[in-house]
Amino acid sequence: MKSIISTGFVLATLLSGGAWAQETIKIGVIQPLSGSVAYNGSADVAGTKLAIEERNANGGVLGKKVEAIIEDGGCKPADSVNAAEKLIQRDKVVALSGAFCSSATIAVMPVAETNKIPLVTGVSSKSDMTEKGNKWFFRATETDGLLAQSFAKILAEQLKLKKIAYIGVNDDFGRGGVEEFEKRMTALGATTVMKEYFDHGTTDFYTLLTKLRSSGADGVFVAAETQDGSIFVKQKAEFGLNQKVFGVGSWATADFMRLAGPAAEGIYAAVPYAYTMQTPKNQDFVTKYESANKEKPGKYGAAGYNALNIIMDAIQRAGSTDPEKIRDALTKTDYEGPNGKFKFDAKGQAHGFNIVLVQLTNGVPKVVATTSIGE
Amino acid sequence: MDLFLQLLANGLINGTFYALSALGLTLVFGLMRVVNFAHGELYMVGGLIGWALTAQAGLNFFTSLALVIIIMGLAGYLIDRLLIARIRNQGEEPGILLTIGLSIFLVNTTLLVVGTAPQKVLQPFSNRPLFLGPVVVTQSRLFVVLMCAILITAAHLLIQRTKLGRSMRATFQDSMAASLVGIRSKQVYAMTFALGAALAGVAGMLLGSIYVAQATIGGLVSLKAFVVVIVGGMGSFAGAIVGGLILGIVEALWGGYIATGYVDAIGFALVIVMLVFRPYGLFSRQVERA
Repeated sequence: MKSIISTGFVLATLLSGGAWAQETIKIGVIQPLSGSVAYNGSADVAGTKLAIEERNANGGVLGKKVEAIIEDGGCKPADSVNAAEKLIQRDKVVALSGAFCSSATIAVMPVAETNKIPLVTGVSSKSDMTEKGNKWFFRATETDGLLAQSFAKILAEQLKLKKIAYIGVNDDFGRGGVEEFEKRMTALGATTVMKEYFDHGTTDFYTLLTKLRSSGADGVFVAAETQDGSIFVKQKAEFGLNQKVFGVGSWATADFMRLAGPAAEGIYAAVPYAYTMQTPKNQDFVTKYESANKEKPGKYGAAGYNALNIIMDAIQRAGSTDPEKIRDALTKTDYEGPNGKFKFDAKGQAHGFNIVLVQLTNGVPKVVATTSIGE
Repeated sequence: MDLFLQLLANGLINGTFYALSALGLTLVFGLMRVVNFAHGELYMVGGLIGWALTAQAGLNFFTSLALVIIIMGLAGYLIDRLLIARIRNQGEEPGILLTIGLSIFLVNTTLLVVGTAPQKVLQPFSNRPLFLGPVVVTQSRLFVVLMCAILITAAHLLIQRTKLGRSMRATFQDSMAASLVGIRSKQVYAMTFALGAALAGVAGMLLGSIYVAQATIGGLVSLKAFVVVIVGGMGSFAGAIVGGLILGIVEALWGGYIATGYVDAIGFALVIVMLVFRPYGLFSRQVERA
């Protein structure tokens, strides 16, 4: 008898738990919260949370509150896949945002496809991800190819760079960025004098810098995130090298400048977002982000914010939490974020938004050139 | 030639850093037979305490360094008395599980308290380049190399020349006999782990002043420290120093002449070669123990 009562109690608890779960719309978020890009992953999560708070304060989506279930993928393919499986099977999320590093997102893409759950990334930039014919995958950011195409000309003509050294972090993002820029810059007449990669979390760049010194380069292209990138430019200054640096990754952020100190001065960065972008949407976003996180937003804060807003817009438009309908609604995205308008093409690649070339001057990312990503 | 000299200098400097980072690990293993998987995390905690004292509290670098040694030593002492003492003499596996658990606890507590942001330990010397012929170094790096040498020597003297060091060595050669002649072995074990923790913490602070201190850095530090210790010989003092220098130089030359993308692999290639040809490391003490 006692066991029947307790079984009944457990069942009742489970049922009420289930009923409560009905009241929120769950979105799965996979970001690196450990490892060398943990810092950037946390910025993405901060943007994600801001988007959800804003939306819930305005009545939520379809009359329900939105809840983000955040998992640590550590920028690693295997851990990110585990996180995706857990979010889909156990938490029954209706859509996924993630998984930051291109290598990790590529691993999650087939999981999303098999389970028929839409996956939106605001970060992963390796060009060929949207060429895989995965109709459940959407990329709300630029690709390495688009970035290279937009800025190679400006770099070659305005900075007059002829001999270039390429340095990238040793993963799909770094290798992708280096390959694309090298292709474009070479087409514009620049020669490659060095091409090297380093591992995530590298602390000592002196070997690379020694090679850089003897390579005779007049400009250095670097594809790296905040931590690796700031250590690199700082050690480059220590080493007494004064080649011009232009980077892709999280460079136009307050933290990058805090970590790199005076060594950040004069660096060029091609980024999809800088807090100095002059749009009314952005001013509002910067104010809110800063009051919530005590720091100005960078590329990844904006990426998390955009990805979640795009997903929540789609759920609203679909009028349902059925993943299939959300996917269809995602294809009709017309969202205005801090960095411009986002629409998706047939392959799930976003276009219409702005990207900027900034120069870090006195601790501020000054916008040098703005261009929008065409279809 | 200029390239070679610079690479050699980089390798030697890094090698010294590796040696200091690995010293605590090898001492704790050699003297206590505990494989400390939380070594990298103790390094990380030391680095972040160093950051809190110099950058947040505004204390002088040397005062902070002394405080880090005291705090980490005390922490190590307590870890041994409260945790490791419970699994003593039960073989190596419980120690491995315990220290892995401790490392997870330390990382996540730090993530909760400090967050993920990389932090910088402030140090008194400049980062401007210093040209020694074709070789570039900075004052701050030379200072850290000097500090490493001082600390390594101090640890060596502590073990070889002091009464505490003698009781440590006696206890680990034969703990029964040591107890019989009146050595308080509980105290000696705790002091040894305190020494290991203090060395890890001080390495974290010194290297945090030229690189960064960050909650999640421990794993990489542990990996490199294990490479150094296996190459040099588990438990060997000289082995840690030579192993560190070898790893530093090999990485620099491999990165310089072949490809920097695979530098982390080279350390493990060294380990494989070592395990095949000299399974007990360069400075093996296996014979003495047998």
